Amino acid sequence: MAEGKPKGKRYAMVIDLRRCVGCMSCQVTCKMENNVPFDFFRSKVLITERGTYPDVKRRFLPVLCNHCEESPCVQVCPVGASYRREDGVVLVDQDKCIGCGYCVEACPYDARYVNPFTGLADKCTFCQPRIDSGLEPACVHNCMGQARIFGDLNDPNSAVAKLVSSNSVQTLKGNLGTEPHVFYISADLVTLDRKEGK
Amino acid sequence: MRLSRRSFLKWSGALTATASLATLGGQEFLSLQRAKAAAAQKAVTEGYEIKYTADVMCPAECGLEMWVKDGRLAKIYGNKAAPLNYGGACAKGVAGTQLVYSPERLKYPLIREGARGEGKFRKASWDEAIDYIAKKLLDIKKKYGPEAVIMDSGDVTDRDQYWRLFFAYGTPHCTEHGSICDTPRRHGPKLMLGGKRIEPDVMRPVLVRQPDGSLKQDFSYKTRLIIYVGWNPFVATRIIYENRGTLGAKVENGCKVVVVDPAQSNTAAQADLWLPIRPGTDNDLFAAMLRYILENDNPRDPNRRYIDWDFVKKHSEGWDEFRNAFVSWWSKVDPINGLNYFTLDWAANRTGLPKEQIAELAHLFGSTKPAALVWGMQSPGHHYNGYVGSILGTALNAITGNLDIPGGAIDTEIVKSNKGGSATGKQFNKRKVKRVIDGKEVEGEQENLHLDLFGDWPAAWDDAVADYPRRFLEGVTLRYGPFRGHRYPIKGYILRTGNTLITGSNPEVWKKALTAKEADGSYKVDLFVVVDTLYLESALYADVILPEASYAERMSLSDIYPSHPMLFLRDQVIKPLHESKTPTEIMNLLAKRLYDLGDPDIKPGDFWEKYRTQEDFVDEMLKAAPGRPNVGQPLPYPNLPEAYVLYGTPDSLEAGRVTIDDKKKEVRGEPVTVAWLRKHQGVVVWPMSWYRYRKFDEKTGEFVPNGVWPPTKTKKVEFHFYGYDGYNKKIDEAKEVPPGLQKVGFDRYPSTFYWFETNWNPYTNPKFKEYAKEYPFQLIVGRVHHAMTATQMVPWLGQVASEGLWMPLNREFEHEIVDPDPKAGGELKAVRKRFRPGTWSVGTILMNIQDGQKLGLKTGDLVEVSNPPGHKTRGQVFLSQAIRPGVIKMGFATGGRFSPGLGATYKQKDYTPNHSELVDPTSLSPVMGFPSYADMVVKVTKV
Repeated sequence: MAEGKPKGKRYAMVIDLRRCVGCMSCQVTCKMENNVPFDFFRSKVLITERGTYPDVKRRFLPVLCNHCEESPCVQVCPVGASYRREDGVVLVDQDKCIGCGYCVEACPYDARYVNPFTGLADKCTFCQPRIDSGLEPACVHNCMGQARIFGDLNDPNSAVAKLVSSNSVQTLKGNLGTEPHVFYISADLVTLDRKEGK
Repeated sequence: MRLSRRSFLKWSGALTATASLATLGGQEFLSLQRAKAAAAQKAVTEGYEIKYTADVMCPAECGLEMWVKDGRLAKIYGNKAAPLNYGGACAKGVAGTQLVYSPERLKYPLIREGARGEGKFRKASWDEAIDYIAKKLLDIKKKYGPEAVIMDSGDVTDRDQYWRLFFAYGTPHCTEHGSICDTPRRHGPKLMLGGKRIEPDVMRPVLVRQPDGSLKQDFSYKTRLIIYVGWNPFVATRIIYENRGTLGAKVENGCKVVVVDPAQSNTAAQADLWLPIRPGTDNDLFAAMLRYILENDNPRDPNRRYIDWDFVKKHSEGWDEFRNAFVSWWSKVDPINGLNYFTLDWAANRTGLPKEQIAELAHLFGSTKPAALVWGMQSPGHHYNGYVGSILGTALNAITGNLDIPGGAIDTEIVKSNKGGSATGKQFNKRKVKRVIDGKEVEGEQENLHLDLFGDWPAAWDDAVADYPRRFLEGVTLRYGPFRGHRYPIKGYILRTGNTLITGSNPEVWKKALTAKEADGSYKVDLFVVVDTLYLESALYADVILPEASYAERMSLSDIYPSHPMLFLRDQVIKPLHESKTPTEIMNLLAKRLYDLGDPDIKPGDFWEKYRTQEDFVDEMLKAAPGRPNVGQPLPYPNLPEAYVLYGTPDSLEAGRVTIDDKKKEVRGEPVTVAWLRKHQGVVVWPMSWYRYRKFDEKTGEFVPNGVWPPTKTKKVEFHFYGYDGYNKKIDEAKEVPPGLQKVGFDRYPSTFYWFETNWNPYTNPKFKEYAKEYPFQLIVGRVHHAMTATQMVPWLGQVASEGLWMPLNREFEHEIVDPDPKAGGELKAVRKRFRPGTWSVGTILMNIQDGQKLGLKTGDLVEVSNPPGHKTRGQVFLSQAIRPGVIKMGFATGGRFSPGLGATYKQKDYTPNHSELVDPTSLSPVMGFPSYADMVVKVTKV
């Protein structure tokens, strides 16, 4: 273990798609955990099918807020409601948010929506109340394939730090320079733009 | 970097990649985070009571944490102390809150007012409903005998109270949905191992005795090859650890995964190889693999050392007989293709797979160890001749030496913990009873009155539920045993949490049987009771409906298939909602009323005086645990005698706080109790071992059979089918061949390998060749995990898609659903919602895109699907590359659902398919009377 004063945390998630079974637990767990209203998602799984029978492959791509280091949503927020904590978690201050929807538009990942109940911006928080209590995000806890791994990139002994440093990890739309904190192993990123059966 | 609006962004799917060399497994990294979590759990859990319990949303019955706030179930997570799911909880598991608080639940007892099927009921009190049932039961007993009543507990789980009551009442007919699940699939393992379900050894962690005597959780995978045939564990999740275990073995141990399935299931999507076989030809693939292995095995060639001769010689019985019977087919010519049986060319012709691929698969399975060959519900499980496949599959796992080795194939039925014991009331079945047959009084045991075992299906060890409609109409004539010649009608049918009208063969025959009348205008089945939490189609036909407490509101034990003995408590997490009652309460209420009305077979000491609470009942069920012998390597308890059967808590066995009975060869520690389980996160686990069939013989210095496991007659793997001896004895005594056997030309149950063709398959059975042209599609069916017969009303599960079978192709509609209300702290509230088109998943028909184009179809088009017997159903097609051409697939019970209790799914009934409507109700498989769900040809017409 590291000696002396612990460094600040830098949270990240790794989604190891070699272990994803496509069960949709993350998508539904998130709704259960965070009271996400009908028709909206903070976290979901995109499904694609590529190829021609019999050389065809169905792929899963779980998506959520990427908690970007360079967050377009934070930059466009006119009232400073969207912010990035020191530990890397991107949040919306519900007291400051005016529900203008700029952040929803600015997010290159479609990760935000305006909650119809509150009229305010809403999105994945990495289950902030849970992680602040030392628990994993609910989707990580419940993941059937153990494909979701969460932790502190600044801790070299953490699972995420080891996975990021030892695997060929990917991020979504990496060329945008958003520096996501959600990393993928073995993702088929074409999944982002295609749907099953098309 | 400065960004303001999406339009400024450069839009592309490119990615950044960080180069690396090593590959690391995820498992070992999780512990640190978990340790921190445990330390700081307080804040987020404040105000919640955490209860450890077990799921019943699906048959996996995972260990769960349920978080309760102010008496309401608020959150659901996987229980990390439960090795089966090890903290995981699937979409369905976490959606449980929406089932528990569903407005679609049955809320109070109902008594029928209209005709059966009309769904007209009035609210009744429990007293009135119980009185109604008890009086009818006594009336039936008096007029026809208690054997005229069937208790069908539908769900396997939490049924023991009902079985106890009805065994005590005097009927031997207590059954469950297992009989309409997959009996042909389990047949081979049951016959040859005394087991049921062969699964790969991929449940991790396992608790293993270490050389230093300590017990440790072992996370390492050993498996090198898994072949799943018609088995889709990522979706049909009963064996839940096959989710993380299959891919864990693949990532961490380089295990190869092959999936044989006409459709690319989610499991196939993550496999190394998908073999899209023609439906109904898995037996052919297995037979060709076995022939290849027998012809090419060479003990002197390390690359072809397929057969483990040491295992075959020491640990099996009757191999030569089996082999000879198998080889006797090799020179015969198959009328369907003019080729010799079981050759590669023959198998290629039947399966539609290239012969090279079949040879390679056989070689791979023979030469890769440890390996597991696993077949599922959708292969031998649902075919008329599935017995043959499950026998061949068991033989393949056994002769290659993979049975019960580390990383190999484990029959989970015979290693799991026992439970239930005398609480189930099977002892009542041994009571002496008398009947008058042809004017002569005959005595026998209650169980000798069984409608299947002593009637038309003597080998139906899981009952022939799909044949019940015929019994309702024609009555029962016993053919075997002391009561041979005894005739009786079926007058009472008690259905608890099952929905046989939809799932037990073709719904039309069930409707007909339940509405058939006697000459006097009364219904033939005079009493039809439904006990359930939900209002499903069968309930529309009931006389009385009793609301049962949901799985979060009652107490029992999980029914699970792990690699070694363990059990999870299903605790009562919240109080029963509405006016629902727990199974223990319902048992006691009905028993007490029967007693008060003078039923001589019901004793207070067997019911309400013995079981004052649910906990009393569950404590009795736990006395049978684990009930498994102390066998294998490493020996689970080296401090206790080897091969003795163990009972009691792991801590008492570990510490030697036991009594040892050398005569019975039993070790009894302190019994596991509900109180003990609650102190241990609801979980009890006894140690794992492998090679459970052998022991070390000090004298010879060799491993020898231990004489107690597997639980067959000879305590070895049986290639000679001693398991059929009892049935053949019945045939010999009565000189009457069961009707099922006659259909395939057998005059007795075969003593070893046998072969016959399946029904409705024009590509393997010449009898059906004529249908191929007019009915060009084979119909297969599979489970949609998110939408089983009783969970479609759950809104969260309608918002996920699955395998082209459960897809967001809804038309616009409105419905009241439960949804979290953020203003009320996220509490689920009933709210009316408008469902926009394309936002809600409905049952669909998966079809190959080329087939669809030929028929001028596009995804979402409505078609009619019809079959040669004249049955039909309707649904929307979902076109995809991920299914074999000439095959269409539907989900089980996802469509055509006509009970309003299905909620939003009910509203889609006119354009969603009900596969059961296409089942040939006369095609009951010959050995056990199982409906052949997956044997059918159909034509598809655009509507």
